[in-house]
Amino acid sequence: MSLVDDLRSALSHDRVLEEPLELHLYSKDASMMRGEATCVVLTETTDEVAAVVRIAEDHRVPIVARGAGTGLTAGASPTEGGIVLSTTLMNDIEIDVDNRTAWVGAGVINLDLSTYAEPYGLHFAPDPSSQSVCTIGGNVANNSGGAHCLAEGATTSHVLGLEVVLAGGEVVVLGGEAPDSPGLDIKGIIVGSEGTLGIVTSALVRLLPLDPDVRTLLIDFETMEEATQTVSDMIAAGFVPAALEIMDQKMMVAVENWLHAGFPTDAAAMLLAEVVGETEAVTAEAALISEMAYKNNARGVELAEDEAHRAKLWKGRKSAFGALAQISPDYYLHDTVVPRSRLVETMDEVQQIADRYGLDVYNVFHAGDGNLHPLISFDASEEGMLDKVQRAGEEMVAACLRNGGALSGEHGIGLEKRDMMRASFTELDLDAQARLKEAFDPEGLFNPAKILPEGSRCFDFGGTRRPIPEGAWV
Amino acid sequence: MGWVTEEHPTDQELDACVQCGLCLPLCPTFRLTGKETASPRGRLQAMNAVRDGLFEVDETFEHIMDFCLGCRACEPVCPGMVPYGRALEGTRAEIVAQRPSASHRLRAFLLGSLLGSRGTLNVGSTLLGFAQMLRLTELAPRRYRRLTSGLRPLRGRSDASVGHSGGSGAAGSVGLLSGCVQDQWFRPTNRAAIELLEMAGYRVEAPLAQTCCGALAAHDGKAPEARSLAAINTPAFDGYDMIVATAAGCSAHLREYAHWADDGESVGSRSIDITVAIAEAIERGLLPRVETDNGEIGIQDPCHLRHAQRVTAEPRAILEAAGYQVVEIDPAGMCCGAAGLYTILQPEASQELGNQKAEQIRSTGVKRVASANSGCEMQMRSALGDEVEIRHPIEWYLDAIEAARTRVNVAAVKDPS
Ligand SMILES: Cc1cc2nc3c(=O)[nH]c(=O)nc-3n(C[C@H](O)[C@H](O)[C@H](O)COP(=O)(O)OP(=O)(O)OC[C@H]3O[C@@H](n4cnc5c(N)ncnc54)[C@H](O)[C@@H]3O)c2cc1C
Ligand code: SF4
Ligand code: SF4
Repeated sequence: MSLVDDLRSALSHDRVLEEPLELHLYSKDASMMRGEATCVVLTETTDEVAAVVRIAEDHRVPIVARGAGTGLTAGASPTEGGIVLSTTLMNDIEIDVDNRTAWVGAGVINLDLSTYAEPYGLHFAPDPSSQSVCTIGGNVANNSGGAHCLAEGATTSHVLGLEVVLAGGEVVVLGGEAPDSPGLDIKGIIVGSEGTLGIVTSALVRLLPLDPDVRTLLIDFETMEEATQTVSDMIAAGFVPAALEIMDQKMMVAVENWLHAGFPTDAAAMLLAEVVGETEAVTAEAALISEMAYKNNARGVELAEDEAHRAKLWKGRKSAFGALAQISPDYYLHDTVVPRSRLVETMDEVQQIADRYGLDVYNVFHAGDGNLHPLISFDASEEGMLDKVQRAGEEMVAACLRNGGALSGEHGIGLEKRDMMRASFTELDLDAQARLKEAFDPEGLFNPAKILPEGSRCFDFGGTRRPIPEGAWV
Repeated sequence: MGWVTEEHPTDQELDACVQCGLCLPLCPTFRLTGKETASPRGRLQAMNAVRDGLFEVDETFEHIMDFCLGCRACEPVCPGMVPYGRALEGTRAEIVAQRPSASHRLRAFLLGSLLGSRGTLNVGSTLLGFAQMLRLTELAPRRYRRLTSGLRPLRGRSDASVGHSGGSGAAGSVGLLSGCVQDQWFRPTNRAAIELLEMAGYRVEAPLAQTCCGALAAHDGKAPEARSLAAINTPAFDGYDMIVATAAGCSAHLREYAHWADDGESVGSRSIDITVAIAEAIERGLLPRVETDNGEIGIQDPCHLRHAQRVTAEPRAILEAAGYQVVEIDPAGMCCGAAGLYTILQPEASQELGNQKAEQIRSTGVKRVASANSGCEMQMRSALGDEVEIRHPIEWYLDAIEAARTRVNVAAVKDPS
C-alpha cells in the first residue's frame, strides 16, 4: 500500500493530509526556511504515533514532529521531505495537585497549561514569548526559555518525566516523580534534542505555586549602557529578579504603534524588571531596583499599577517580534548568549555589522542571562537581500562567539544554525553527538539533517546529511 | 493564474504577516481541528501562495477559505496588524470570480433575492411568522432548522422602524440603519434603539431610501453587490450627526464604508454601534442609571463588536446602568459559530461552536444573556432553547428603565395615602 493509504488505515481519513496546498502550509515553521512535506498526519494517541513511526520506517521516509510551528530555526520544517507529525490534537492534561505535577500531552499549548492549573494555585514556569501558542512538546524539544526563566530555569528544570516514541515504534517512559531516577539521565538527553531522537508524546512537568505578589517596573534610560549596567549591578549584588528584559528604542516604537502599552519611545532603552514573592519582600526589592536604576542615571521608574497594566507591558514585550511586521515583511532573528559584561560591546559590534550591510537591526532581549536577540528586518523579495541578511547574520553570531558567547540561548539549532555548529564544537564533540543520534535513530529518520552538520561523524562515509539545500531559504 | 479582480488581497496586507503564529490559539477553526490549514496563519500563507503563482484558486483553496468564520478574532492579537478581515473579503471575491460553483449559487439566492429587497423580506417574514405559529418550521431541512429555531416569534411584530422619524434633536441627529433582516426579525431591538435615542434627546430618522448595509455580501465575496448597496446608503444617510446600527455586523461594515463607496468615508467616520451611542449617552447623563438590583446577566461579545471594532466596555456599561451584575461567559471571546451564512454553509462546525458557547453559558448558571448581534442571538437560542433569555443589551436596559418607572409610579400612588 502507498504511504498515505497505510497512514489512513492507521489513523483516520481526515487526519492524513496530502493535498499539495495543505502540505505547503506545513512546509515551514516561523523561521525563514521551507521544506516540502510528503504528507501530514495529526495523531491523537501514543499508539497512533508509534504506528506512524513504524509506517515511516517501512516506507523509509523521514518523520518530523511539529507542535505549533513557532520554532525560529526551521526545526519543524520538513527540509528532507517525509511525514510531518502534528501533535496539536494530543492535548490532555492530568493534574496532580498534591504533588504539584501534571502529565500533559505534547500538543498542549504552554499557556493553556498555566490557565488550566490556575484554579489550583499553580502554573508552569517556563514562559517563552510565544507561550500563548507554542506547545509543551516544542518547549521540551527546544529546551525553551522565557523571561521568567532567569530565576526559575528553562524547560529542562521543569520536566520530571517523558513518554517518548523511539525508533521501531517503541514506547518508553523516562524519568518520573522521583527527584533522581536510577541510571543515566536519558530524559535529559531527549530535552533539547529537537525531535532528532524520537517523538515526545507527553511530559510529566513540575508546576509551581502562583506568586503571592508581584511588582513590575518599567525603567527608561538615555543610553543602552546604563540599562545593561543596571542589570549587571543587580546580578553582581547577588540579586536575581524574576525577569529582566531590555528593549531598544526602535523596537519600542514598533510595539507602541500597535499596542499603546505606554513604553517610553523617546528613551534609548527600556528595562522591564519583575520581582515576585511575599508583599513585603517584593516591595523592598522593587525599591532596591529603583535605587540601582537611578544610580545608573535612569530617567524614570514606573511601577505597573495593576494586573491589567502589568499584562499590557508583558504583552508588549512578548509580541515584539511580530510587531516588526509593520516595518517590513520579513525578519531574521538571532539567539545568542554572551557574558553580561560584554553585552554592550557585542551590541555595538552587531550594529556595526548591520550598518556595513545597510541593514536595519532591532534589539529586544533577556538581559538577565545575556541572551541577545538581534533582529534584522528586511524584505526578502528584494534582489540579493536574503543573501546579505544571511551573511550579516553569520557575522553577528561570530561576533557573539568571539565575545565568549554561545550559539543559541533558547531557540535551538535546527537547520538554521546547523552549519555554525563547527564554530563552537570540536570534531570530537560533534562525533560524540552524532554517535548518540545513531544509537537512538540508526535509520536516521527522526528529523534528519537538523542540528548536526554534514560529516559530524568522524569517518563519515556519506550518509543522509547534506549541506542546506539550495532554495530552502524563503 | 493569481488574482483576477481588483478586490484581491494586496501585497501590503499579505506581507504584514511574519508567521509568528500568535493568532492561532484565538482562532475557533484552528481550535476545533488543530490544523494549520484551518488557521489564520495558514490561510494567509495560502493567499500568499496564490499571489506568488505557486497555487491556483482551486477546490482545496476554496475549502480552506470557506471554513473560515470571518470572525476576525485573529486581528486584535496580531502584532503585525494584519488586516485579515479585508484580505479575506478580497479572497472571497476572487473565489467567486474564479470558481462559480454550487455553494455560491445558494449564497447568491440568499443574498440577492432575499436581503436585497424589502418587499420580499417582508412577505417572507410574515409567512415565516405563520409557519412558526403552526410549527411548520420544524419541518425545514436540518441546516435551516437551526436557523429558524433561533428566531424570536415573528407574529404580532411591532411596526417596522424604517421610515420612522421623531425626537427633539436637542442632542443631535441620528440616521438609523434599520437593517434588512434586523428590521424584520429583530424589530424590538430597533424599537428600543429609537426609544432610547429619543429619550436621550436625539432626533432619530430611519430614512426610507436606505437598503441592506451590504455586510453579508461583502463577507461573501459579492463585491459588486456590496458596492451597489453602499452607493445607495451613502446619500441616504447624508447629513446626520451620527449613523447608528443595531447589529454589530452592520455597524462594523458601515465603519469600513471608505472601502466600499466613493464618498464612503463620510459614512464610515459618522457610524457607530448602538451600544457605543447608548453607553455614551449614559456617560453624559442623557440617559438614567437604574438603581435597582436586577441580578446577574451573562454577556456575550459578538465578534464584529469585540474583534472588528474592539468594543467591549460599552455593552457592559449599559448593563450595569440597567442594574445588572455582568457575568463573563467567555473571557477569550470565541465565536459562537453564527458568522453570517456560516450556519447554513458549514453546519457542523457552526453547531459545534454553538454548543461550546451554550455549555459556557450553562456553566455560569445565568438565566439572562445579553448579545449585541442578532445572528449570535439566534445561534445561542437555537443551542439553548428556552433555558436562557437572550436579548440585546439596550433591550435589557430599556426594560429596566420601564420597570423602575412603574415602581416609582406605584410608589408615587401609594405615598399620599
Ligand atoms: C513570537 C515568538 C516568540 C518566541 N519567543 C521565544 C522565547 O522567548 N523563548 C524561546 O525559547 N523560544 C521562543 N520562540 C521560539 C519557539 O516558540 C520555541 O522554540 C517553542 O518552544 C517552539 O514550540 P512549537 O510548539 O511551536 O514547536 P515547533 O516549532 O512546532 O517545533 C520546534 C522543534 O521541536 C520539535 N518538536 C515539536 N514537538 C515535538 C514532539 N512532540 N516531540 C519531539 N520533537 C518535537 C520539532 O521537530 C522542532 O524541531 C519564539 C517564537 C516566536 C514566533
Ligand atoms: S499573528 Fe499576525 S503576523 Fe502572526 S501569524 Fe498571525 S496574522 Fe501572521
Ligand atoms: S477570521 Fe476567525 S475563523 Fe477566520 S482565520 Fe481569523 S480567527 Fe480564524
